[in-house]
Amino acid sequence: MLLYEEAWPRMPGAESPQDCPCVRPTPEPDLPPGFMEEEHNSEEKENAPCERSLTAASRDGGGQMPAAPLAQGKVERGKVYSRDGVLGYLEMLEAQAHELGLKQEEKEQQEKKLDRLKARVQELRARRDELRAKVELQEKKLLDKEGVVTDPARPSAQTVLKWKVKSIKAMLQVFYLTGISGKLTKQGVCFCISTAYEGTYLDSYYVDLLIKPVVKIQRHSVPVFIPLEQIAKKYLQTDIRRFLSVLADHLNAYVGRRHQADQLEEHFSDRIDGTLQRNSLCNLLVFNYTVSTNSKTFPFNVKLLYGDLCCSLPTEAIISCTPGTLPLLAEMAAAHSNTFRHMALHKAFDLLINAEESQG
Amino acid sequence: MDSSVYQVYEDEIQLLEEEIKLLSEKYEDIQQESTFFSDEEVLMAAKLFQREFLGEHKGYGPPVDLKAEVESLERDLSFLVKFTGIQIISHSKKTLEKTVNRTVQKHRLSGNCQSLPFSLEFQLLEVQNKEKVSTAVTDLSITMESGQYSEISKFVSR
Repeated sequence: MLLYEEAWPRMPGAESPQDCPCVRPTPEPDLPPGFMEEEHNSEEKENAPCERSLTAASRDGGGQMPAAPLAQGKVERGKVYSRDGVLGYLEMLEAQAHELGLKQEEKEQQEKKLDRLKARVQELRARRDELRAKVELQEKKLLDKEGVVTDPARPSAQTVLKWKVKSIKAMLQVFYLTGISGKLTKQGVCFCISTAYEGTYLDSYYVDLLIKPVVKIQRHSVPVFIPLEQIAKKYLQTDIRRFLSVLADHLNAYVGRRHQADQLEEHFSDRIDGTLQRNSLCNLLVFNYTVSTNSKTFPFNVKLLYGDLCCSLPTEAIISCTPGTLPLLAEMAAAHSNTFRHMALHKAFDLLINAEESQG
Repeated sequence: MDSSVYQVYEDEIQLLEEEIKLLSEKYEDIQQESTFFSDEEVLMAAKLFQREFLGEHKGYGPPVDLKAEVESLERDLSFLVKFTGIQIISHSKKTLEKTVNRTVQKHRLSGNCQSLPFSLEFQLLEVQNKEKVSTAVTDLSITMESGQYSEISKFVSR
């Protein structure tokens, strides 16, 4: 379609119609117009545009169709060449026009997108400023009137209830922070033990209890290596509080030991020879490190045994050295063992390494 | 037009959206922390809500039943109080710091623990790391009647 709507452009280098390769002198200029169609029926479609463009070219790029088309196709010699040339040129023009159209569309879309983004930024800025003003006003009110700030308008039932929901949830969060909390269920209670070590909260474990006809554990997320069954057998029926308390002690200690081992690995992997070995309960830890004395280095192997499962400090810290070196290192080994038994593992190790370094 | 032109706007949009989220949360927090409704007011609101709720939504599916939610939460709370023996008489919370990744809140509590009065204050730090949220308690200070030091030290070591 474009081909018919676009004006015929001047060919490069073609100053006059005579130079146009499409135009060739014909031996029979007065052939009837329909002649071409008779002789080249199969190529009629191709020739038709060719014809028109020829006539256009012959009229200085005027773009008008004269009455008598040239029987250009008749010329044997330049026939194929010029038809392909024209076709090729037309195709190129069509492609160009198409591309121009696409580019135009793309540009419009890009501009639209940019406008959208700009509008969104404006909208967000306005909302942000509005909120800032609101918060500032709030804070000012708080300073002026110490304590309770109530809306001048009477609060709706919904507002009051929503406030109450948030308020109770905040209290429940405090219970969560104490380490033992729970939620009532249809058949009983689901308790949550939230463990922590030195102020940082770690994993939470759940115990879902049925209370009728007897107290029974329906579901739980306690790891298998924690002696849950044992503890339940001992306390669940008689004293649920005690059961939870003992279970919480086990879980907290386990999590504490695991945390120490993780911290050691995270911060001191370069000072440990090989890897830290541990069991799932984290009550047996083994690792190797190097000590130096008298500018000689010696390997130490540490075996930490946590005999009390409710405790996060080892009951035994066995240090082994290469045979023969013990007399020399006995004092150091004893000191290290002592440190491990009284301090959190990663802190103890940090202390020992730094002491080493300061001694050289 | 290359994409860097868009990037400037898109970056600002993201920043603004984050800021708006923080500001609205801050507004909500301050609103919550500085409002107080007595039990009677809550009871009245519950009754009113019930009437409105039943009136409007009869026959339709259940929307958020605030009254039921309040009642369920209160049941959980009173169970915990009875079970643990910890009764919280007053609790106030103040947001000290709030950024995209970090929230610090100061809590003030007072109540009775097995009929022994106590009051404590602590700061709660919540940090968002990638997908995990880690919580830590700092600056814990406990005031209790003298004579119960062993319990205090145990609590503190938590």
